[in-house]
Amino acid sequence: MRPVQLFCWHFMAYPYLPPDFDEKYESGWVTVPNTLWDRDKTQGLFQEYIDQLVYGEELGFDGLVLNEHHQNIYGLMPSPNIIAAALTQRTSKAKICVLGSLLPLFMNPLRVAEEYAMIDSMTNGRLIAGFAVGGGPEAYNYDVPQPQARTAYWEGIDLIRRAWTEDGPFRHEGRHYPLRYVNVWPKPRQLPHPPIWIPGALSIETMEEVAKRGFDYFLSSRAHGAATRQAAQRFAGIIKSYGGRFHPFRMGILLSVYVSETDEQAKAEARESIWYWLRFCLKGHLRREGRTLTFGPGVPSTSVRSWEAYVKNADPGAKMLGDVADWDELDQWGSITYGSPKTVREKLWKLIEQAGVGNLMIQFHFGNMKPELARKSMRLFATEVAPYLRRDSVELFSREYPDMNEAMTAPAVAA
Amino acid sequence: MNTRIIELTGGRKVAIAEAGQGAPLLYLHGFADVHGASVEWLPMHEELARTFRLIAPAHPGCAGSDENEAIDSIDDVEFHLLEVLDALGLAKADVVGNCFGGWLAAELAVRNPDRVNRLVLTGASGLFVPGEPIGDLFWEVQAQNGVEYQGLRSLLFTDGNADVARALFPDGRSVVEREISRYKVMRYASRVGFKPPYFYNRNLRDRLHRFPGEVLLLWGEFDRMVPLAHARAYEQGFKRARLQVVPDAAHALTVEQPDPVVAAIRAFLTPATIGAHRVFERTSGARAKSARKGAARHPTREPHAKPARAKRAADASRGGVTREAKRPAKRLTTRATKRPLKRPAKRPVKKRGR
Repeated sequence: MRPVQLFCWHFMAYPYLPPDFDEKYESGWVTVPNTLWDRDKTQGLFQEYIDQLVYGEELGFDGLVLNEHHQNIYGLMPSPNIIAAALTQRTSKAKICVLGSLLPLFMNPLRVAEEYAMIDSMTNGRLIAGFAVGGGPEAYNYDVPQPQARTAYWEGIDLIRRAWTEDGPFRHEGRHYPLRYVNVWPKPRQLPHPPIWIPGALSIETMEEVAKRGFDYFLSSRAHGAATRQAAQRFAGIIKSYGGRFHPFRMGILLSVYVSETDEQAKAEARESIWYWLRFCLKGHLRREGRTLTFGPGVPSTSVRSWEAYVKNADPGAKMLGDVADWDELDQWGSITYGSPKTVREKLWKLIEQAGVGNLMIQFHFGNMKPELARKSMRLFATEVAPYLRRDSVELFSREYPDMNEAMTAPAVAA
Repeated sequence: MNTRIIELTGGRKVAIAEAGQGAPLLYLHGFADVHGASVEWLPMHEELARTFRLIAPAHPGCAGSDENEAIDSIDDVEFHLLEVLDALGLAKADVVGNCFGGWLAAELAVRNPDRVNRLVLTGASGLFVPGEPIGDLFWEVQAQNGVEYQGLRSLLFTDGNADVARALFPDGRSVVEREISRYKVMRYASRVGFKPPYFYNRNLRDRLHRFPGEVLLLWGEFDRMVPLAHARAYEQGFKRARLQVVPDAAHALTVEQPDPVVAAIRAFLTPATIGAHRVFERTSGARAKSARKGAARHPTREPHAKPARAKRAADASRGGVTREAKRPAKRLTTRATKRPLKRPAKRPVKKRGR
């Protein structure tokens, strides 16, 4: 029985923003001026971030996670595949999960099929292939028409899977990417293809598309608790309706963790970087203050039906994660887990038990966190938290999913 | 608002709002408009409906019209519109187009001049004018601090704090029906606004001369969404266009200044005032200049009232130079004498980065 899979996620935030950033700029995305980029201070920055991920493998994490952002301070990876390529040369065991490449930004999704195939070959089959549609800022910085982005995205994913599994050359008669010669060289290492993960933020439409194809679902929402369990149950139900079988590894969630020797020490050490991350890095995304660019009528990617459901219930003036006033408010979101190994262990275990999710994607580095603190937190997690979560999860999953081994090898959708 | 649903070949439904009696007037809506930010007629429409039979189809996906996944660009909307006109039995009509509805109207006029009689564009996007970018509606329609629309109002209105602006775009959440209507019109705008980018068709400008009819261009003097330079580009490109700048108005001129807008449209389209609007034949540079100068402020004081057709016939019978042949020289003059009608004092627009 497989234990809970623990991934180390690095966003590679820009750590050198001025202290008055929040007063001066309305968004950390798209329009945040790149005059704030410091050529001297950033020397060696990517190296440090890559080293932290490599350290993650040394500590025994099951996988390393990268993702794609453009024109922002939240994540400095416009091309996560470049970092993935670097990791192929520094790692030998951990999965490399790119979550994911933003397909609508490519003129032709075959480029992603090719790059992923290269990474999968270079790692001898360690790639997890994530595909994302883009969160909204890409409507501004890449002029992606939002209503078409979704259909283009799913066509691109289907094309990539075909390109990996069917013999080429073949012709693709798509609406968005009509191609006469599809013939990907190299092919990926894994058979039938690398696992495909699709991020989503609770929308039923996305879950249905994922379940239909037998892919795995990654819940990108940052609020955890009862909602996480609901999402897992909803996804399990949808998988079932498509004739597939749910098990905890069909789904992943995003968490943020800081571990230190004691609860008080954790707060004291992480305070600055957590608030840097909340106030600065989330601005433009999960902040009420300023201007949110990831959701709304200016980036109308969700259907009218979804928008209607949202607008009827939403309180547009409500605080978001990045607006929390203090630790107490932060705790209510369940997004960032911090404290002693014991505290973190208990909180995460509660979540695993409650949600029954098998893949935990954990962010250890926040905003401008000092490298030594991030490494300490990772080390304490790996040595004093992870072993317990692994042990207990095997027991839990064996009890709740006695036929999981079988389910994991069964076809993901009805034949 | 009296709205009916018509069905096109293939079953797609289109919502058509109608009001008034008289000569049919096709109205192609924009954003701060009926079927857009407003779910009702605005005062301008009600006033127009006293003279005309106003026919306003909602663009694909807007109001009660079906969204059409096959629509990618303005070309696709153009074909959709032809189907709508056929279904309505409108062989040829006077057309008013506002904002991106004006873009659509201009595209219709240059591609299917047989379907357009006279054309009125109010704050129309559609052209690429170097150095004069169209404002970022998509950016401003995203709330500031969760609930504020000051940026959006300032992009569209002369004074973002004016009651008329706040009535259409209040802070906080508006009634659900209007929120959904706004979302739908943005979805439509996103569908066509980026392909080709950005709310313009680079080739349209060189095609404008293909429309032989008369064009009235109405522009708010402070338009920050589609700068006045676009109005001048339209004026220059069409064969028979006249620009009338509406004072104390910005992009949402039809909402801010409905009376002068309606008066100008009536004067242009109503036969009773036929003598007043015959300014469209450009003859010589000097003449075009004086005509334009007058046109800007005194629409009824135009120098030559000779009907266009008669003028052309007279030219031909005299064996004179045709209008087309004269165009280059005249255009040069036009350009040389072109200057901002009244450069609006740039109102401070909040910079994005602050």
